[in-house]
Amino acid sequence: MQPFTLNYARPAVQLDVTVPYAYDSGLQLNVLPDGRIAATDHATLRALGTTTSTAGSKTHFDD
Amino acid sequence: MTVLILTSQEDVTADMVVLRLREAGVPVVRLDPADLTNGVALSGEYIQGTSRGHLSVGGRLVSVNGVRSVWVRRPGAPAARAAQPSAWLTEESSQALYGLLRSTAARWMNHPDAARRARHKPWQLHLAQGSGLAVPATLITTFPQAAREFAERFPDLVVKPVSGAHPQEPPRAVPTSRVAPDADFAAVAYGPTLLQRRVAKRADIRLTVVGGTLLAARKPVAPDGHPDDVDVRFAPSVSPWLPAEVPPRVAEGVLRYMAGAELAYGAFDFAEDADGIWWFLECNQSGQFGFVEMDTGQPIAATIADWLAGHGSSGDRCAEGDRSAAS
Repeated sequence: MQPFTLNYARPAVQLDVTVPYAYDSGLQLNVLPDGRIAATDHATLRALGTTTSTAGSKTHFDD
Repeated sequence: MTVLILTSQEDVTADMVVLRLREAGVPVVRLDPADLTNGVALSGEYIQGTSRGHLSVGGRLVSVNGVRSVWVRRPGAPAARAAQPSAWLTEESSQALYGLLRSTAARWMNHPDAARRARHKPWQLHLAQGSGLAVPATLITTFPQAAREFAERFPDLVVKPVSGAHPQEPPRAVPTSRVAPDADFAAVAYGPTLLQRRVAKRADIRLTVVGGTLLAARKPVAPDGHPDDVDVRFAPSVSPWLPAEVPPRVAEGVLRYMAGAELAYGAFDFAEDADGIWWFLECNQSGQFGFVEMDTGQPIAATIADWLAGHGSSGDRCAEGDRSAAS
């Protein structure tokens, strides 16, 4: 008895990506290993897709 | 006066705003409610007719009465990372934290009540219609016969989740999908189904609204794009997002929508058809914006920072998100 909408479901892409930055509680920002602020490194953010609209997540409905 | 940001540590999109606030010299305290009792602490007291409260995180202490604005970005469930998490502790922590903050005069982006209501897609469609925005014919139903009749009337349909949520166990994604002409609608009886007339689009539009400021981006559809590629999040990308002008009538409708929804921030999705009409699809009250800013160079993070700092444009009165102490 699967709802109609789920006929169009597909396996979620499991992004098993380790982000190269870590949160610095002093700065309240994520920082790359070389000390740069992650948010200023657009190439890294694009590669990781961490700022994109991603068709939903477990905890947030808003893309 | 401090800007309080409620979000997860890994939220690099929030970082973009934190950076702008730092540059402007605006005090910021950022915390994830998930860390309550395990890195985040709170206290509130109501004695002899006065009240005050404090939050602390990472050695920072902020008086809740000194909070000028609250940005509810991507917070975790309160106390989710406590030493002994439980649904009861989450509810206790949620009531304590948000109750404290609701008691202040801070402006919200977005107020939790407005945010909760704004997530309901049927309500969004109704509000969009009332705001003068073009809304594609839509049916939400559990009646298979109603779905069949709708499909006869509008033969080219898409289906999408009502809630926008995606099923887990196992994790699956449910993109907006084109419905086959010979679809069997019997299973509509097993769950509310949202069917919508497919807009033959020539571009996707992402319109980010911050207070009274509208920042639109447009992504053209490939000339040879397949009509089954309905959902821009899953379709092949042939162009970056590009800055776009907002048609005046759309701008008026969007600002009416924001005022009606009592939202200070909203990320609108539209489909632009061959006649240039922007068809309202949805408004995500906490939609992502980093990818738009990186493609277009539009100052979305700076505009959010300005609003949080209290420097919003004169058009902000219609979308203050400012329920403050009334809630």
